Amino acid sequence: MGIISVDKANNLFWLGRYTERVFTTLRKFFRVYDHMLDDSDQDNGNSILNYREYCGRLAIPDIYLNEQDFVTRYLFDRDNPDSLVSNMERAYDDAIVLRDEVSSHVLGYIQLALDTFDGAKNANMPIFALQPVIDDLFAFWGCVDDYVENEECRNIIKTGKYLERLDLYLRLDYRMQDIEKEYSKMLNRLNKTKLHINMEKLEELTAIINKKTELTENYREALNCLGEIVEVI
Amino acid sequence: MQNLIDRTAEINKMLARYGVKFGIYKNNVFKEQLFPFDPLPRIITKEEYIPLEKGLIQRVDALNLFLKDVYTDKQIVKDGVIPEDFVFSSSGYLPECEGMVPPKGIYSHISGIDLVQAKDKSWYILEDNLRIPSGASYPLIARELCRRASPQTYQSNRIIDNRNYHKLLRDTMENVNCGGIPVIMTPGRYNAAYFEHSYLAERSGCVLAMCSDLFVNENVLYYRDYKGEKMRVGVIYRRISDEYLDPMTFNSESLIGVPNIMDVYRAGNVAIVNAPGNGVADDKGIYYFVPKMIRYYLNEEPILKNAPTYLPFYEEDRKYVLDNLEKLVIKDVAEAGGYGVIFGRDLTKEQLENMKQLLIRESRRFIAQEVIDFLDLDIMEGNERVPRKADLRAFVLSGETTKVWASGLTRFSRQADSFVVNSSQGGGFKDTWVLSQ
Repeated sequence: MGIISVDKANNLFWLGRYTERVFTTLRKFFRVYDHMLDDSDQDNGNSILNYREYCGRLAIPDIYLNEQDFVTRYLFDRDNPDSLVSNMERAYDDAIVLRDEVSSHVLGYIQLALDTFDGAKNANMPIFALQPVIDDLFAFWGCVDDYVENEECRNIIKTGKYLERLDLYLRLDYRMQDIEKEYSKMLNRLNKTKLHINMEKLEELTAIINKKTELTENYREALNCLGEIVEVI
Repeated sequence: MQNLIDRTAEINKMLARYGVKFGIYKNNVFKEQLFPFDPLPRIITKEEYIPLEKGLIQRVDALNLFLKDVYTDKQIVKDGVIPEDFVFSSSGYLPECEGMVPPKGIYSHISGIDLVQAKDKSWYILEDNLRIPSGASYPLIARELCRRASPQTYQSNRIIDNRNYHKLLRDTMENVNCGGIPVIMTPGRYNAAYFEHSYLAERSGCVLAMCSDLFVNENVLYYRDYKGEKMRVGVIYRRISDEYLDPMTFNSESLIGVPNIMDVYRAGNVAIVNAPGNGVADDKGIYYFVPKMIRYYLNEEPILKNAPTYLPFYEEDRKYVLDNLEKLVIKDVAEAGGYGVIFGRDLTKEQLENMKQLLIRESRRFIAQEVIDFLDLDIMEGNERVPRKADLRAFVLSGETTKVWASGLTRFSRQADSFVVNSSQGGGFKDTWVLSQ
């Protein structure tokens, strides 16, 4: 119908954020896990060397006993609010109340991704079994483009998506050129919505990004600005 | 048909993928459960359907006339056809609706009529649901998936396509639209029927709204968007009970209603689908009188039969009920969803005696019915066909004319010895085929 309530705008925005959170952190997790296999501190091009550093970067509490405990509980523990399955559940909670806006087809991919977590938990090779989550989320985004008729809805979901991606790239020490690219995508979508924008914070963030220097040291400053750009929601 | 049966697992998997679930509270914890689907459809032949359709239209037309009468002239009571006690002491009768006539005089726009078929193939009405009957979305989506799973089944059988329910719903709503957008109002995702609310909104193109999205200003109902703009609402298909609809008129503690919506309704500025106050006509006590209503308002003989019913309120009926309690089924008129149903044959001697005392003390509270030996329908249990009790909820939509949706929700019990088919109590569902030839 082309009309979006405050609650729905909120759900659309967070649907974008949670799906992206699962997508990007899962991909990063695969790399951190790979590094953990070698049991060494040598830098193989992956700037985050172990799960403790990974937790620190994401600002989630390190409640894990060891690497194995991290793998199990970070991925599959529904009682752990920071686990990936909990984030996937939150995406589901947002999606389920948006069926009329996003369509049953789009919703179906969220359900599939959530079911994959359940299936992978008891699989012989749980990490391997999570690959379909990435596939489902790719399909989800393709489906958003195809099935979500209301452009404003698409823009709000994608604002959430790129804002979350930028947040994670800042935390996880991605290269400046990647950060610039995601910043530009986020800005493009944000400007097409009628979401309330904190212009002061946006300008501060823009200034930090425009310096074009690596943000290793001052990424928290950028994160603080990012966290306050979209108001109300 | 075998081809369709062979695809059962895949169909159920697709139903899960699309979130075809219902919500249930167990020990105060909300859970979403899949609604088990059985591929063997209920099949209604064209010959069976013609009188069924006519009978349903007749019944719903009479019920709509009754509702208008009860809230205006009360002629049926004045003429002694229905005792005053059964109308005005019903919990579904709302004095707040006195004198109100909804747009185009339609009270029950969407009626869910529950029936069973006896072994001689005749239909019996079990109950009328004129408030917020749910269930149409399940066969609607199941048909879509079954056609994909087994196209040859649908090629080789002449089945009326039922995938028009959302269109019928939208037409029914637009018929009474008072000028504005159509809205389906849901209490939220923790409602048992939330899947249905959201799916019907998606398919019909109506806006799915929570009460917090709606507000009243100067006797007009509006939907508020996130930019702060407002749009007028002309018709609202509310999926919450009367008592929670408007805290200013009904339950003042309701947090899921829209304050002052009844004023907008009273002013004729919004149509409420179904109208508030309909509970007076689908009360289990009033059910007994529906055949009389048909004769009274339409001057016709009822086409569809009620299950043989007794009202302990009447001395003669009470005597029969007390003498034959062990072979009857007792229903508490205030209960729904399969609750408050007691089979006399399941009671011990002491329980029977206690029940008799209760029936004497609270004769208005109960009805008693003969247990109908209804036709079992086969369901698939693994690779085996096994017979189970099943009912049919037919959907009748009252718009410019009264129409029956050529399908319906067939619910079945999954336990061999159970008559209870409700989803909340573990039942499953089937598609309902109406044959065109």
